[in-house]
Amino acid sequence: MTAAGRTPRGAGAGRAVPRTGLLAGGLVLLAAVAVLSIGIGAHAVPPSEVVRALLDYRGTDDQVIVRDVRAPRALLAVAVGAALGVAGALIQTLARNPLAEPGILGVTAGAGFAITVGSALGLAAGQAGQLGFALIGSVLAALLVAAVGRRSPLRLVLTGVALTAVLSGVALGLRLMLPDVFDVYRFWSVGSLAAREQAPLALPLAAIGVSLLGALLLSRSLNALSLGETVAHTLGAGVARARAAALVLITVLSGAATAVAGPILFVGLIVPHLARKPAAGSVPWLILYTMVLGPILLLVADIGSRVLLSTGEVPVAIVTAFLGGPMLIWAVRRYGAGAL
Amino acid sequence: MSIRRSSALAGALAGALALALALTGCGSSDDGTDSAGKGKTRVFAADNGKIKIPAAPKRVVATGYAVPALIEADAPLVGISSWKRGEPMMGKKDLAAYKKLPKVAGEQASETNYEAVAEAKPDLIVIGVPAPVLGDIDVKRLESIAPVVAIGPTKPSAWRTLSRKQADAAGALEQFGAVKATYEARAAELKKKYKDVLPQLKLGHVGAFGEVSKGTFQREFGGSWGTNVAEDIGAHYYGKVKKAGKGSRAVSEYPSVEELPSSLGKADALTYSVEADGSVPESVKYVMDSKLWKNLPAVKAGKTFPIRYTEAATYGQAMQTLDAVDKAFAPLLDS
Repeated sequence: MTAAGRTPRGAGAGRAVPRTGLLAGGLVLLAAVAVLSIGIGAHAVPPSEVVRALLDYRGTDDQVIVRDVRAPRALLAVAVGAALGVAGALIQTLARNPLAEPGILGVTAGAGFAITVGSALGLAAGQAGQLGFALIGSVLAALLVAAVGRRSPLRLVLTGVALTAVLSGVALGLRLMLPDVFDVYRFWSVGSLAAREQAPLALPLAAIGVSLLGALLLSRSLNALSLGETVAHTLGAGVARARAAALVLITVLSGAATAVAGPILFVGLIVPHLARKPAAGSVPWLILYTMVLGPILLLVADIGSRVLLSTGEVPVAIVTAFLGGPMLIWAVRRYGAGAL
Repeated sequence: MSIRRSSALAGALAGALALALALTGCGSSDDGTDSAGKGKTRVFAADNGKIKIPAAPKRVVATGYAVPALIEADAPLVGISSWKRGEPMMGKKDLAAYKKLPKVAGEQASETNYEAVAEAKPDLIVIGVPAPVLGDIDVKRLESIAPVVAIGPTKPSAWRTLSRKQADAAGALEQFGAVKATYEARAAELKKKYKDVLPQLKLGHVGAFGEVSKGTFQREFGGSWGTNVAEDIGAHYYGKVKKAGKGSRAVSEYPSVEELPSSLGKADALTYSVEADGSVPESVKYVMDSKLWKNLPAVKAGKTFPIRYTEAATYGQAMQTLDAVDKAFAPLLDS
């Protein structure tokens, strides 16, 4: 018997209907928020033009705004939200630590370090250059952490913290010495979804899509792993293989998301907590819920980033930080520490 | 008798008043006009107040925007700050002088090397940084070395008066006047050349300081960096800032790229800032790669013109801008 299909912590088959209903409700909410995101922006576009832009495109200015500026941005929010949410769920499951988030693998620090070095060398100019360096830096950092800390969750976390400190320190030193490099970095360092419509997003978005599918396929194996290594071994799960696969997925998901949007903290931490209670201990459901809740949170934050201030847009990472803190406290109070 | 006494008293008072006026007029002026005489001083009105400075300075230290202005004016410089941003706009002679002069400060105001300033033994220090940046400089420490006059940039088009004031403080108005006259003659020549085509056009300008990461572009109006020299030859940039701020914010704004059609849709022709080597800055490229830009009537009509040297802050630099504007607008004469 394998761990496939198990629902630990007493979650019975009777929960299947509410779970499915919740998922369907989440998908409807996601669709509604996505449409709202496409309809709101600096330039007022009538709702009828929004519909025409999607169904009867004629290339008017309003339709170009909807199709070429806002729709790619909403798609990016969905992809990045799902990537960070699922990466958070995977790292928390793998590390068996409720405070773990994708950045713990050194992904954010690696991307920031790579952009700093790339800018110092004059190679990280433009969106494509920054995206490339961020992707390479985040993947290399995560691979290093995974290689050193693969034997135990604690070692993994400690390695991630140590590498993050080292990379951040060196990068900070470089930025302090080189004002031009600091100038490039400061725009990237606050995660944003704005103005990404012209960036070469096909590869990172495809990587996120494939990795989300991989996370779903892996989730059954992780179900056993979430009970602890000994239990997982007893249940016949391939612990080493599942852990390695999860690390690869976390690396790709968080690396791609950070590369395209910059560091967006809290999403990877808070979304799994919001999804944990309704998932009732089932990792497959946890992955599914985070895949829907992550995009909803990021789309709402992105809408907020456009309308909160009359002086102009604020980066979405600032809004997620404002939303994330209270939401985490609410989740703890609502579900209790046990939910974490 | 009483009449005589009164007349004598009035004469004495008038004489005393005349003497007092003559004495106060000698070596001091609120408008910075020079007073002749070696070793004499005068009072100069600067951003940091009315400062007593040498009437004819012999050893001047310049920082910020005062660097290109005073090199061009042949001021007696003994130390300058680094000014890399202005290098592409310096002529051969000025660039050689710039490279030869000792650097007593970095690119940032906070990188002032006070010991190096003291070693230069200046008798006048001219600081050319914006008023808010003055806080990064220990002015009192500089004042212990030599009189300090702060003459920093305000509105982009104000470089004309500011560079004059900097040259005046450094006692270098003669060369300044010569360069200014050359510029004005060239501007008048070009104004005549384009009089039949340029004033009739409603122009819009996209500047280089938009922020791609925020999805904004820089719309520059009349009197801004990218437009003020072109205006000297008769160009007309329409519109004004929605919410005017201070300094460059009074003549430029940063709308979302979504607002391109509403911001520039009425322009007959568009100009945009490019680097000194002609390459398009990332912030401008972001705008030009947008479908909304390609939908603009001026773009569809092929009326877009790149402008180099838009950061000119001296008459000598602006000469290059005039040449660049002439080259950019030349196709208008063919149509």
